Amino acid sequence: MDPFLTSRIVSDILGGLTNGVTYGMVALSLVLIWRSTGILNFAQGAMPMFATYVGFGLLSYHWGYWPCVVVCVVAGLLLGGLTERLLVRGLYGKPEINPIVVMVGFLIVLEAIAASIWSSTPRSLPSPFSSVDWHLAGKPLSLSPFTVYEISTALVVMIAVAALFRFTKLGLQLRASALAPEVSRLLGVRVGRLLTLGWMLATVVGVITTILVAGGGFFSGLTPQVMDGIFAYGFIAAAIGGLESPVGAIVAGVVLGIVNQFVDDFVNQNAVIIIALVLLIVALMIRPSGVFTKIAHRRV
Amino acid sequence: MTRTWTRQRVPIAIALAIVATAISLVSATTTRDGVAFSVAVDVAIACLAALTQASFKTSHPVVTRAALTLLGLDVAIFITFFLSSSANFNLATGAAMSIVLLGLSFLTGASGQISLGNGAFMGVGAFVMAIWANHHATTPIVVTLLIAVVCGALVGLLLGLPATRLRGPYLAGMTLAFAVAFIFILGSFSSWTGGDSGLQLPTEVTAPRWLDGLFHAGTSPLTTSTLYLTDIAIVVAGVAFFFMANLFTSRIGRAMRLIRDNDVAAELVGISLPRTRVIAFIVSSAYAALGGALFTLINNAASPSTYSFALSVTILSLIVIGGIGTISGAVIGGIIYAFSTNVISWITSQTGLNPQGNFASQLNGILFGGLLIVTMLFAPFGIAGAVRMLWRRVRLRRPG
Amino acid sequence: MITIDNLTVSFGAVQALRSVSFVAETGKITAVLGANGAGKTTLLRTISGLKDPKSGTIRMDERNLVSMKTEDIARLGIGHVPEGRGVIGEFTVEENLRLGAMMAKVNLREGLDDQYAQFPVLGERRKQHAAKLSGGERQMLAMARALIAKPSVLLLDEPSLGLAPLVTSQLMHTIQALCETSDLTVILVEQNATSALRIAHHAVVLHVGKAVANDTAANVAANENLRQYYLGLVE
Repeated sequence: MDPFLTSRIVSDILGGLTNGVTYGMVALSLVLIWRSTGILNFAQGAMPMFATYVGFGLLSYHWGYWPCVVVCVVAGLLLGGLTERLLVRGLYGKPEINPIVVMVGFLIVLEAIAASIWSSTPRSLPSPFSSVDWHLAGKPLSLSPFTVYEISTALVVMIAVAALFRFTKLGLQLRASALAPEVSRLLGVRVGRLLTLGWMLATVVGVITTILVAGGGFFSGLTPQVMDGIFAYGFIAAAIGGLESPVGAIVAGVVLGIVNQFVDDFVNQNAVIIIALVLLIVALMIRPSGVFTKIAHRRV
Repeated sequence: MTRTWTRQRVPIAIALAIVATAISLVSATTTRDGVAFSVAVDVAIACLAALTQASFKTSHPVVTRAALTLLGLDVAIFITFFLSSSANFNLATGAAMSIVLLGLSFLTGASGQISLGNGAFMGVGAFVMAIWANHHATTPIVVTLLIAVVCGALVGLLLGLPATRLRGPYLAGMTLAFAVAFIFILGSFSSWTGGDSGLQLPTEVTAPRWLDGLFHAGTSPLTTSTLYLTDIAIVVAGVAFFFMANLFTSRIGRAMRLIRDNDVAAELVGISLPRTRVIAFIVSSAYAALGGALFTLINNAASPSTYSFALSVTILSLIVIGGIGTISGAVIGGIIYAFSTNVISWITSQTGLNPQGNFASQLNGILFGGLLIVTMLFAPFGIAGAVRMLWRRVRLRRPG
Repeated sequence: MITIDNLTVSFGAVQALRSVSFVAETGKITAVLGANGAGKTTLLRTISGLKDPKSGTIRMDERNLVSMKTEDIARLGIGHVPEGRGVIGEFTVEENLRLGAMMAKVNLREGLDDQYAQFPVLGERRKQHAAKLSGGERQMLAMARALIAKPSVLLLDEPSLGLAPLVTSQLMHTIQALCETSDLTVILVEQNATSALRIAHHAVVLHVGKAVANDTAANVAANENLRQYYLGLVE
């Protein structure tokens, strides 16, 4: 095969993988919150964005990259917890449209407040790793130290979340709270606290995603809208993979990322979201509950 | 019933007609403004006559609604003659937006479906209007509007078909994806849609001669054409509201509300869920397209950046604040939209904020988003809903 | 010991329990009988804090449970096996048991061994998903899950529902044995009054929310007039 084409394909796969893991993480957060609280968090991109601004706003005080990251994570925990307690608590059991509207409103408010405090001009974040692509046989490879950092961090996060759920006591309780909240309460599980924890966890995953997305160097930068596109694709991935399945979300995210990269390269930039939309519609038509879920029971 | 009407009310009707004719003749001989005035008064009296006949009201609800609509239009158009150009412009914008809001109110309230993509459907109508006008400049405005509506309905059908199988969050997400993708769809057809800068209407819409005649000589064409456009927008809105009011009480409307409240029961009764849902979706997108087409008319241009996801969110906020599932909610939302820029600049000036500063430019988002959250948490039925509940409580306290 | 005093519970306009009073003594089985809709399940749910009563008190050792949250009531040592068993189908047998052991400060290994000894079937199927168990096995799992936390009070809501007579009688023997070996207070809600009365020490009969009998099990069983209430023959 034409070596130029091969390197192009490899490049697309790598580039797509890099984006794909970010979609996968957003999708994972969405599934986490959906499974535990039955709410689709439309602010899943905006909340971490805000926390990231809080953390990296400290750069002006000459804090380093890693201390700022720590602050971002803490801010994410606080924001996630406060949002669940104050905003979301009143929404459980209400008609489906209520939480959707509230979270969309929250998204708008967060982006507007971030823009008014920190302005909309993109801020570049200091990068702990170089974003210069490596070359293979003279052609750039869409792989740089930074993308390796990005992909490996994402993998670590996903594995950590999976391990938490599967192997720890906390994970067992979180799963139980989502599957059978009333029975869990009868067994002494503090369901309310766990729900708050679920939101905090999902927000932190989002914060890590935002830091990776915004920190990439050349074409990235922190803006209030930085997570908008990622959220859209993350949502599409979650919907295709099935809102009930964490594994499905991650796989769908990665696949979508790769597909997008190919469409962008071989068709044109406009076609990317259009094709993603078509894929979403097709997937939902085939299986309204997503491709990876077992037949969903009617929540009667 | 018609018989009792003719027998007992004829004397009153005749008397009213005589009074109306007298007023018309007197004022027609005075000034040109007087002609407008007398026409308005005649129509108003006729409508009031129809509305006050209780028997008439119950046996011909459609005609009563028509009379009410005519009365409303009459008053509104009359007022536009005395408003400034910029006020008329805002009113026109508000009227166009209220049509869009009406569609979304219907979709959400009557059939329980969510759409985050009505800004994109507006865009469909807007660009159809612009593209058609650029290629067929001689088509009458009404026809072009109808074409825009049909196109909106077709796109609604396209998206409505998959939508029937989706529950709330999936539907919301799909419409969100559409809203986000819309600008890129426009970009894909940039030869037709004029790329980033959009399209302009080939010729400015100007008021017809006879309308000019109603004003004093020397009135600027801008005033008259703005007036003309505003009146078109108001009339179209009136027609749209009239249809919606009838749709709501019709069999289809009732079927939709049954589905919204209890889809299992609806299925048992034999209502076809998918078909009714698709119809609701088509209606909502058709209305949005109509509003968008009017937007193009009013602004004389259609640009892609207007029809973004942010617009869809604004539309959602407005109808939530106004009152989902209500007709008056759409009117309230339209009014808010019409005057929001004024209100925001007023707030900016009152609080002494730097109008060029970060905070002021984001005030729109902060206010709308904040209102959306607060309304949904504390008054999910919006202003119209809150008023309705208050009214009910007052009624229950007073006996009879 | 659980003391119910003048408990009134309503759902909107409907009164599910009206001034119900009785005492469930420590180490004894108190049967709560009555037809469908008599308020039996509501009683247990109210004790566990899933429903707030309109008035009245529920005392366990001087503590009024009425204002407490369900999780806290459970942590006091009140085990509740709900109607329908509440077994989490997506979990394995062992995961269900682990969940039950979580809040109590018990040694997990020991607890598991105890329950597997008590219910060998569960030990055999420990890695299987609970959804695959039969009705009787699920009932055992639900009970083991409640017992692993070493509760002082056990609330059982219609444990014999949907079970074959042989299984039911085995179940009743198990409950009786448990009660005799520890100081467990058992409140047993049952529609299968005969088998419940056989093992109970005390019985309460509910009829449309009111307690029409509150006596020893022997007396209640002997009283012909009461039979109509718990056999559902009266409107």
